[in-house]
Amino acid sequence: MIPAAFDYKAPTSLDEALQLLADGGDDAKIIAGGQSLLPVLKLRLAAPELLIDLAKIGSLRGVRDDGDAIIIGAMTPHFEVVGDPLVAEHASLIAKCVATVADPQVRHRGTYGGACAHADPASDIPASALVLDAEFVIAGPGGERRVAAADFFQDLFTTAVGADEILVEVRVPKYTGWGSAYEKFVRVAQQWAIAGVAATVRTEGDTIAEARIALTNMGPTPIRARAAEQALAGVAVQPDAVAEALSSIADGTEPPTDINGDPEYRRHLVSILGRRAVLAAARS
Amino acid sequence: MIAPDVGGGFGGKLEVTPEEFITFAVAKKLGKPVKYTETRSESLQGAHHGRDQVQRLTLAATKEGKVTALHVDLLANMGAYMGLVGPAIPILGAYMYNAIYKFAAYRFEVKNILTNMVRTDAYRGAGRPEATFAIERLMDDLAVELDMDPLELRAKNWITAEEFPFTTVAGFEYDSGNYEAATARAKELFDYDGLRAEQAERRARKDPVQLGIGISTYTEQCGLAPSRILGRLNYIAGGWEHAEVRMLPLGTVEVVVGTSPHGQGHETAWSQIVADKLGVAFEDVEVLHGDTQVAQRGLDTYGSRSLVVGATAVLKAADKVIEKAKPIAAHMLEASEDDLEFRGGHFWVKGTDTGKSLAEIAFAALQAHAWPEGIEPNLDSSASFDPDVYSYPHGTHLAAIEVDTETGAVAIRSYVAVDDIGKVVNPMIVEGQVHGGLTQGIAQALFEEAVYDENGTLVTGSFVDYLVPSAADTVDYVTDRTESPAVSNELGAKGVGEAGTIASTPAIVNGILDALRPFGVTDIEMPCTPMRVWKAIRGAEDSETPSEAQPHFDAEGGQA
Repeated sequence: MIPAAFDYKAPTSLDEALQLLADGGDDAKIIAGGQSLLPVLKLRLAAPELLIDLAKIGSLRGVRDDGDAIIIGAMTPHFEVVGDPLVAEHASLIAKCVATVADPQVRHRGTYGGACAHADPASDIPASALVLDAEFVIAGPGGERRVAAADFFQDLFTTAVGADEILVEVRVPKYTGWGSAYEKFVRVAQQWAIAGVAATVRTEGDTIAEARIALTNMGPTPIRARAAEQALAGVAVQPDAVAEALSSIADGTEPPTDINGDPEYRRHLVSILGRRAVLAAARS
Repeated sequence: MIAPDVGGGFGGKLEVTPEEFITFAVAKKLGKPVKYTETRSESLQGAHHGRDQVQRLTLAATKEGKVTALHVDLLANMGAYMGLVGPAIPILGAYMYNAIYKFAAYRFEVKNILTNMVRTDAYRGAGRPEATFAIERLMDDLAVELDMDPLELRAKNWITAEEFPFTTVAGFEYDSGNYEAATARAKELFDYDGLRAEQAERRARKDPVQLGIGISTYTEQCGLAPSRILGRLNYIAGGWEHAEVRMLPLGTVEVVVGTSPHGQGHETAWSQIVADKLGVAFEDVEVLHGDTQVAQRGLDTYGSRSLVVGATAVLKAADKVIEKAKPIAAHMLEASEDDLEFRGGHFWVKGTDTGKSLAEIAFAALQAHAWPEGIEPNLDSSASFDPDVYSYPHGTHLAAIEVDTETGAVAIRSYVAVDDIGKVVNPMIVEGQVHGGLTQGIAQALFEEAVYDENGTLVTGSFVDYLVPSAADTVDYVTDRTESPAVSNELGAKGVGEAGTIASTPAIVNGILDALRPFGVTDIEMPCTPMRVWKAIRGAEDSETPSEAQPHFDAEGGQA
């Protein structure tokens, strides 16, 4: 279908974008890659009067080194994140999660920041930021502020980004030398995750020294499996031992019910996917 | 009416929809052109659905594996309205439950049920996929019951190659077929024995990924249809087709056909047939269709009938062109008709190199300067064809299915399709039909489902929730053909438009169940979603698809 008519502005600076957003108020909407917003507009579930496109603000795009962290500009398209050498070296889990998003066309248009700000519970991307304790840099009328990933994802499609604010970049602490894997469960290749487990692991010999795990689509926001992470410390890289340590992986989750599964099935799925992800991460 | 290259049909283009009448009414009222478009979601709710049946099946057999009787009792969901062919879809299937087998007794009952759901109607295969699914699932169940190899059980019951023509228990005469040949070839390509050995090994070691072999030795009924039979079945329409062949003065040919392709490559195949018959170049044949100013006579493109019925009419019209040209050629060559032979697009005086091409004769018709008296000056011909009997494509499909017993995920490891569709006109088109058909049938087994919530709202209202596979969800199909030409038409063709769809659904579900027999699993409702498979393994009874859509398109999203 054809979206309702709207005005379109593509500012070249962040200040200009913030000003447009302030002036536009509730009738204005930020567009990044448009891969979720455009379907919503076409279905006329939303009809903003003004779209503010961030595509021409060059400073929002790209990955750079910032000492103990790497910084992913909010407007960096997925395919750049997947192929970025800094991401590969210091946050390989992010590349693995992003690589599973939709299809190549979507990955060329969709952006890391856009997917985080949209906060679809079944998106593969929020879990990758949460599991690595990323920080979100948000610009608003009063300047910039930083929000921890744990506080960023607040609810279904709801983040800490205020109505007059714009997500600028994501700061990801370095996990150099950690192995990683993302197990995404789908029925057809191009599908949102029915459930997913993102795991990154530091091993010492044949033992897991530290592990970080986040779950996709097991509640309104991505969820850290902290009890499972603690249980994995000191566990041998071995299927039964890992499975046992992950017995609590689904604790505290609130999985949705939809056509692809009920909560019982999703809880079971993450126990299997968790084992596979942790073992793959430890062996990667 | 102009309907040029429209997209795929699959039953959807057969229907006369209320929306079409509304569009005409609005156009008439306004006196202006009116265009009707709909969204994907509207299409999913407004266009008809397919297949929805509850099948209660009873099979009687001897302990040696000889089936003695079949009882089919159906509840067929019509939806809220009767579609154009909807109520007859179960009847189209009624003649095919006995499939390739020699059953001594057969009883068929159906109740068409009106519900508050979207109406159902013909969907690629229309009645035959439902029948084939039922009987092929049942034959596998019987093999398990008798502890027999399911292919051996089938061979005990199928019509043997020497027994054709064979009149089935449902009363139809199968003209040709060779189930032994197709099955032998499929087993060979599939490595049937090797995979059975691997299956045993995986079962013994309790591999989390179990292997199943899915079998479908299908047949179906094409070449719709002998008009007399349609009359007996109270169909309003007839089953003939019509074609015209115009031999133009410069040697090119126009072929006007009543069948109208929606992507099947009729222009290519019909051109091949005419080029071969008239001895003209393939590129000199033009096929005209889909415009009632050009092609006034014809019925439909559906039910794998276009080649079998429509192209036979083309062939007959081309024959008439040659027949018509013969006395002219004799006149021009100053020879007796008996002394002429037609070869390579020319009439030759036998034993000489003196001849006239059809192009020359057509040009002579244009001038008509030296035309024989009493004969009309043109070569154009038309023909209608009404088949006497149906055609019966068949084949043996084998699928190696891996079931991840930890998650319920189903993966197709390999798929072999050996089809006997009679004579083939264009192998590439056949290959495309088979690949697409297989994928569509596999999608029914694994992905596609119309789900309603408790208020009767269709929740699979977009391709987010209504899952269709892409190329990434298929495997490299191994295809081959055996050939028993149809005797119902001069081409010897049987039709291939629906074969893959009819065959593949039971092959997949049989494969899943074959993998899971050691877990005591005897049935899983389609589509065999991972959750349903997982619950079946755990022995759970409730495995309904939850009737809630996913929330991806939320208006409140951030910068996306």
